Amino acid sequence: MRPPTDFRALLSRLLSAEVEFILVGGVAANIHGSARATYDVDIVYRRSPENMSRLVDCLSPLQPYLRGAPSGLPFALDLDTLRRGLNFTLTTSAGDLDLLGEVTGAGSYDDLLPATETVTLFGATCRCATLEALIRMKRAAGRPKDIEALAELEALREERG
Amino acid sequence: MVPEPIALDPDPVIDAYKRDVDRTLLRENLKLTPEQRLLKLQDVVRFLAELRDAGRRSRQ
Repeated sequence: MRPPTDFRALLSRLLSAEVEFILVGGVAANIHGSARATYDVDIVYRRSPENMSRLVDCLSPLQPYLRGAPSGLPFALDLDTLRRGLNFTLTTSAGDLDLLGEVTGAGSYDDLLPATETVTLFGATCRCATLEALIRMKRAAGRPKDIEALAELEALREERG
Repeated sequence: MVPEPIALDPDPVIDAYKRDVDRTLLRENLKLTPEQRLLKLQDVVRFLAELRDAGRRSRQ
Protein backbone atom coordinates (compact mmCIF):
# COMPACT_ATOMS: atom_id res chain seq x y z
CA MET A 1 0.00 0.00 0.00
CA ARG A 2 1.23 3.48 -0.83
CA PRO A 3 2.27 5.73 2.05
CA PRO A 4 0.16 8.83 2.68
CA THR A 5 0.97 11.99 0.79
CA ASP A 6 3.84 13.94 2.31
CA PHE A 7 2.49 17.48 1.93
CA ARG A 8 5.65 19.07 3.22
CA ALA A 9 7.90 17.15 0.84
CA LEU A 10 5.78 17.89 -2.20
CA LEU A 11 5.23 21.57 -1.48
CA SER A 12 8.80 22.25 -0.36
CA ARG A 13 10.04 20.69 -3.57
CA LEU A 14 7.76 22.81 -5.76
CA LEU A 15 8.60 25.96 -3.82
CA SER A 16 12.34 25.46 -3.84
CA ALA A 17 12.24 24.82 -7.60
CA GLU A 18 10.40 28.15 -7.97
CA VAL A 19 7.55 26.54 -9.86
CA GLU A 20 4.74 29.06 -10.37
CA PHE A 21 1.63 27.42 -8.96
CA ILE A 22 -1.49 28.16 -6.94
CA LEU A 23 -2.69 25.79 -4.26
CA VAL A 24 -6.35 24.88 -4.65
CA GLY A 25 -8.56 22.03 -3.45
CA GLY A 26 -8.51 20.37 -0.06
CA VAL A 27 -5.01 21.41 0.97
CA ALA A 28 -5.83 25.04 0.21
CA ALA A 29 -9.05 24.64 2.19
CA ASN A 30 -7.06 23.27 5.14
CA ILE A 31 -4.67 26.19 4.95
CA HIS A 32 -7.71 28.45 5.34
CA GLY A 33 -8.87 26.43 8.35
CA SER A 34 -10.96 23.55 7.00
CA ALA A 35 -11.08 20.47 9.23
CA ARG A 36 -11.73 17.98 6.42
CA ALA A 37 -9.07 15.43 5.58
CA THR A 38 -7.70 15.39 2.06
CA TYR A 39 -5.22 13.02 0.51
CA ASP A 40 -3.73 14.81 -2.45
CA VAL A 41 -2.24 18.15 -3.41
CA ASP A 42 -4.03 20.10 -6.14
CA ILE A 43 -2.18 22.87 -7.90
CA VAL A 44 -2.97 25.17 -10.81
CA TYR A 45 0.33 25.62 -12.64
CA ARG A 46 1.33 28.37 -15.06
CA ARG A 47 1.60 26.94 -18.54
CA SER A 48 4.57 28.98 -19.71
CA PRO A 49 7.37 26.91 -21.30
CA GLU A 50 9.81 27.98 -18.57
CA ASN A 51 7.48 27.04 -15.77
CA MET A 52 6.49 23.70 -17.29
CA SER A 53 10.17 22.94 -17.68
CA ARG A 54 10.75 23.74 -13.98
CA LEU A 55 7.78 21.54 -13.07
CA VAL A 56 9.09 18.60 -15.07
CA ASP A 57 12.60 18.92 -13.61
CA CYS A 58 11.22 19.25 -10.11
CA LEU A 59 8.91 16.23 -10.31
CA SER A 60 11.04 13.83 -12.35
CA PRO A 61 12.97 12.47 -9.34
CA LEU A 62 9.61 11.61 -7.72
CA GLN A 63 8.73 9.20 -10.54
CA PRO A 64 5.36 10.71 -11.42
CA TYR A 65 2.86 8.29 -12.93
CA LEU A 66 -0.82 8.44 -13.88
CA ARG A 67 -2.87 7.71 -10.77
CA GLY A 68 -5.06 4.66 -11.09
CA ALA A 69 -3.60 3.64 -14.46
CA PRO A 70 -2.30 0.11 -15.02
CA SER A 71 1.41 -0.18 -14.44
CA GLY A 72 3.72 -0.43 -17.43
CA LEU A 73 2.16 2.27 -19.60
CA PRO A 74 4.68 4.27 -21.62
CA PHE A 75 4.02 7.42 -19.61
CA ALA A 76 6.67 9.99 -18.84
CA LEU A 77 5.96 13.41 -17.43
CA ASP A 78 8.18 15.35 -19.78
CA LEU A 79 7.77 18.75 -21.39
CA ASP A 80 6.08 17.27 -24.44
CA THR A 81 3.53 15.39 -22.32
CA LEU A 82 2.79 18.47 -20.28
CA ARG A 83 2.43 20.60 -23.40
CA ARG A 84 0.03 18.14 -25.08
CA GLY A 85 -2.11 17.70 -21.96
CA LEU A 86 -3.68 20.08 -19.49
CA ASN A 87 -4.77 18.39 -16.27
CA PHE A 88 -2.92 15.39 -14.82
CA THR A 89 -3.81 13.27 -11.80
CA LEU A 90 -0.51 11.83 -10.69
CA THR A 91 0.92 9.59 -8.08
CA THR A 92 4.52 10.25 -7.03
CA SER A 93 6.93 8.83 -4.50
CA ALA A 94 5.93 11.71 -2.20
CA GLY A 95 2.20 11.17 -2.69
CA ASP A 96 -0.67 12.15 -4.92
CA LEU A 97 -0.50 15.36 -6.90
CA ASP A 98 -3.00 16.87 -9.32
CA LEU A 99 -1.55 19.26 -11.88
CA LEU A 100 -4.27 21.51 -13.23
CA GLY A 101 -3.70 23.70 -16.26
CA GLU A 102 -7.23 25.00 -15.84
CA VAL A 103 -9.88 24.57 -13.22
CA THR A 104 -13.66 24.86 -13.46
CA GLY A 105 -14.89 28.18 -12.16
CA ALA A 106 -11.46 29.80 -12.08
CA GLY A 107 -9.71 29.18 -15.41
CA SER A 108 -5.95 29.21 -15.81
CA TYR A 109 -3.15 30.26 -13.46
CA ASP A 110 -3.26 33.81 -14.80
CA ASP A 111 -7.05 33.96 -14.52
CA LEU A 112 -6.93 32.77 -10.92
CA LEU A 113 -3.97 34.90 -9.86
CA PRO A 114 -6.04 37.95 -8.73
CA ALA A 115 -8.00 35.67 -6.39
CA THR A 116 -4.99 34.39 -4.49
CA GLU A 117 -3.13 35.27 -1.33
CA THR A 118 0.33 34.38 -0.17
CA VAL A 119 1.04 32.24 2.87
CA THR A 120 4.32 31.24 4.45
CA LEU A 121 4.91 27.49 4.40
CA PHE A 122 8.15 25.86 5.49
CA GLY A 123 10.06 29.11 5.19
CA ALA A 124 8.87 29.92 1.70
CA THR A 125 6.08 31.98 0.21
CA CYS A 126 3.30 29.96 -1.35
CA ARG A 127 0.39 31.25 -3.41
CA CYS A 128 -2.99 29.89 -2.35
CA ALA A 129 -6.47 30.50 -3.79
CA THR A 130 -8.58 32.68 -1.51
CA LEU A 131 -11.40 31.13 0.45
CA GLU A 132 -13.89 32.93 -1.79
CA ALA A 133 -12.18 31.53 -4.90
CA LEU A 134 -12.30 28.00 -3.45
CA ILE A 135 -16.01 28.42 -2.79
CA ARG A 136 -16.62 29.67 -6.31
CA MET A 137 -14.67 26.74 -7.79
CA LYS A 138 -16.60 24.19 -5.77
CA ARG A 139 -19.90 25.84 -6.63
CA ALA A 140 -18.98 25.91 -10.33
CA ALA A 141 -18.01 22.23 -10.28
CA GLY A 142 -21.54 21.44 -9.07
CA ARG A 143 -20.67 17.98 -7.76
CA PRO A 144 -23.04 16.53 -5.16
CA LYS A 145 -20.04 15.10 -3.26
CA ASP A 146 -18.78 18.65 -2.69
CA ILE A 147 -21.86 19.96 -0.88
CA GLU A 148 -20.62 19.11 2.63
CA ALA A 149 -17.20 20.59 1.87
CA LEU A 150 -18.85 23.67 0.43
CA ALA A 151 -21.01 24.10 3.52
CA GLU A 152 -17.89 23.93 5.66
CA LEU A 153 -16.04 26.50 3.53
CA GLU A 154 -18.98 28.88 3.73
CA ALA A 155 -19.21 28.38 7.49
CA LEU A 156 -15.47 29.07 7.68
CA ARG A 157 -16.02 32.28 5.76
CA GLU A 158 -18.62 33.35 8.32
CA GLU A 159 -16.33 32.41 11.22
CA ARG A 160 -13.51 34.50 9.80
CA GLY A 161 -15.90 37.45 9.59
CA MET B 1 -2.35 41.27 0.08
CA VAL B 2 -5.64 39.52 0.78
CA PRO B 3 -8.33 40.38 -1.80
CA GLU B 4 -11.59 41.84 -0.53
CA PRO B 5 -14.32 39.25 0.18
CA ILE B 6 -16.95 39.10 -2.53
CA ALA B 7 -20.67 38.49 -2.26
CA LEU B 8 -21.92 34.94 -2.80
CA ASP B 9 -25.53 34.20 -3.72
CA PRO B 10 -27.25 32.22 -0.96
CA ASP B 11 -27.89 28.58 -1.79
CA PRO B 12 -30.62 26.86 0.27
CA VAL B 13 -29.03 23.41 -0.07
CA ILE B 14 -25.64 24.63 1.15
CA ASP B 15 -27.34 26.59 3.93
CA ALA B 16 -29.12 23.42 5.08
CA TYR B 17 -25.83 21.50 5.22
CA LYS B 18 -24.14 24.41 6.97
CA ARG B 19 -26.26 23.83 10.06
CA ASP B 20 -24.41 20.53 10.67
CA VAL B 21 -20.90 21.93 10.38
CA ASP B 22 -18.93 21.58 13.62
CA ARG B 23 -17.78 25.16 14.00
CA THR B 24 -15.73 24.40 17.11
CA LEU B 25 -13.22 22.59 14.86
CA LEU B 26 -13.05 25.59 12.55
CA ARG B 27 -12.53 28.00 15.44
CA GLU B 28 -9.66 25.87 16.75
CA ASN B 29 -8.05 25.78 13.31
CA LEU B 30 -8.37 29.53 12.91
CA LYS B 31 -6.15 29.97 15.97
CA LEU B 32 -3.31 28.23 14.08
CA THR B 33 -0.96 29.54 11.41
CA PRO B 34 -1.39 28.21 7.85
CA GLU B 35 1.70 26.03 8.30
CA GLN B 36 0.39 24.63 11.58
CA ARG B 37 -2.91 23.80 9.86
CA LEU B 38 -1.06 21.94 7.13
CA LEU B 39 1.03 19.98 9.64
CA LYS B 40 -2.15 19.10 11.52
CA LEU B 41 -3.65 17.78 8.27
CA GLN B 42 -0.48 15.74 7.76
CA ASP B 43 -0.88 14.17 11.20
CA VAL B 44 -4.53 13.31 10.48
CA VAL B 45 -3.70 11.75 7.12
CA ARG B 46 -0.88 9.67 8.63
CA PHE B 47 -3.16 8.51 11.43
CA LEU B 48 -5.89 7.51 8.95
CA ALA B 49 -3.32 5.57 6.91
CA GLU B 50 -2.20 3.72 10.04
CA LEU B 51 -5.83 2.88 10.85
CA ARG B 52 -6.41 1.67 7.31
CA ASP B 53 -3.32 -0.56 7.43
CA ALA B 54 -4.24 -1.91 10.87
CA GLY B 55 -7.72 -2.78 9.60
CA ARG B 56 -6.26 -4.56 6.61
CA ARG B 57 -3.82 -6.55 8.76
CA SER B 58 -6.60 -7.61 11.14
CA ARG B 59 -8.62 -9.05 8.23
CA GLN B 60 -5.69 -11.14 6.92
